[in-house]
Amino acid sequence: MIKIFINPGKFINFANFVIKPLIFISIISFIIGLIFALYVSPDDYQQGSTVRIMYIHVPSAWLAMLTFLIMTIYSIIALAFKTPFGFIVNSAVAPIGATFTFICLFTGSLWGKPMWGTWWVWDARLTSVALLFVMYLIIIFLKKTTNNINLGEKITSIFIIICSINLPIIKFSVDWWNTLHQPASISKISSPSIDPSMMKPLFIMTIFFISIGLLIAIIRIKAEILERKKII
Amino acid sequence: MQIINSITALFYKEYKIAYKNLYDILTIILFFLLGIFIFVFSIGPNEEIFQQIGIGIIWTLLLLSNNLSIKRFYQNDFKDGNLHLLHMSGMSYELIVLVKLITNWFFLQIPFFIFIPIACLMLNIQNDNIYLILLTFLIGSPILTSIASISGSLNLLNNRNIEIASIIVMLLSIPVIIFSFGIIKAPPELIKPQLSFLIGILLLFVSITPWICAACIKIAIRNS
Repeated sequence: MIKIFINPGKFINFANFVIKPLIFISIISFIIGLIFALYVSPDDYQQGSTVRIMYIHVPSAWLAMLTFLIMTIYSIIALAFKTPFGFIVNSAVAPIGATFTFICLFTGSLWGKPMWGTWWVWDARLTSVALLFVMYLIIIFLKKTTNNINLGEKITSIFIIICSINLPIIKFSVDWWNTLHQPASISKISSPSIDPSMMKPLFIMTIFFISIGLLIAIIRIKAEILERKKII
Repeated sequence: MQIINSITALFYKEYKIAYKNLYDILTIILFFLLGIFIFVFSIGPNEEIFQQIGIGIIWTLLLLSNNLSIKRFYQNDFKDGNLHLLHMSGMSYELIVLVKLITNWFFLQIPFFIFIPIACLMLNIQNDNIYLILLTFLIGSPILTSIASISGSLNLLNNRNIEIASIIVMLLSIPVIIFSFGIIKAPPELIKPQLSFLIGILLLFVSITPWICAACIKIAIRNS
């Protein structure tokens, strides 16, 4: 079972098996989630209709951090056990994480203009997410700086492990500093401070984001594996 | 006993190289002073503005002049095979990195302690703040040195895009800038907690730098 996530050959079998259900899930959850988010869910009593930005902003922020966490775990595994699959995952997944971070920053600034009155504030949460975006860009660039692809990957993995110190800073920045960005609403699973009518579309949109991210990641990883096989 | 001898020999070698290249070190300091001139010309000689942003200017220039010293760490020793020879003579890479850190801190950052007060006087910064800048620089400069060392070792075999090394230095030194600028701007009762936070960052970086740099050097030597 675990070998699926380490062994490239088994991963390709798993990918061929899982790719069609993922397309199905992502299309269905996208349609249902958009209907729920745009029509069914109620307006916020303070923010009005702009609260609907949340259904894209929050899942993309979660996925941006989750992608970095996955990259960190895979780079530790790849460096420690000398399995090249981790490097493949890193190079395939980094642009996806960068895209999610960009979506999060973009929608956040669109949301901030009507609510806070500015596009951008130098606030702990916003700054650390912007740094996450810069880190993703450096990770993408750093791999291509050397002609030797083996070296580039290992260097990039070390850099990812150094940069993973940013993840807890992003998570706890709203608790440690007095920020304009609000603290997490869904931190307590038992009693979240968000209404169920808004929780439902958020949940469906999160499923959509996870499935579309996983779908793109699987396709990219598969392409990367096949390309490397061709080189060898 | 033999290891102590080899460490002293390594220190002596680094001292010789630094003394021979004294003008290179002075060039970095000249960059620092000239940067202040550029800032003054671009903002205009207004004393009140300088009292507000002078500290930020000085810290920015310290960071940028730290960027110039990235190649000084391992590049030359790696290219002529010195690092490999030192390792074969019985020193671990971690020890070599530690010696390099100490000597580079001594020769590249200590001269700034003479030139920072001069720069502060040129920018009309108050006397109390000069002491605080020197104190934060005493704690912050080893962090800057270790960040430059990490970035230098990450880019050992990188001949194409050396600018990314400077970007890594800038990215990693953001917490240093935040806390050292915060100490100077903070009210007196908040200086001590921020100072201990800065010392915590220093200890973290000093403890992880030898391992990271040694891992990078090993990877580079295997792949070169």
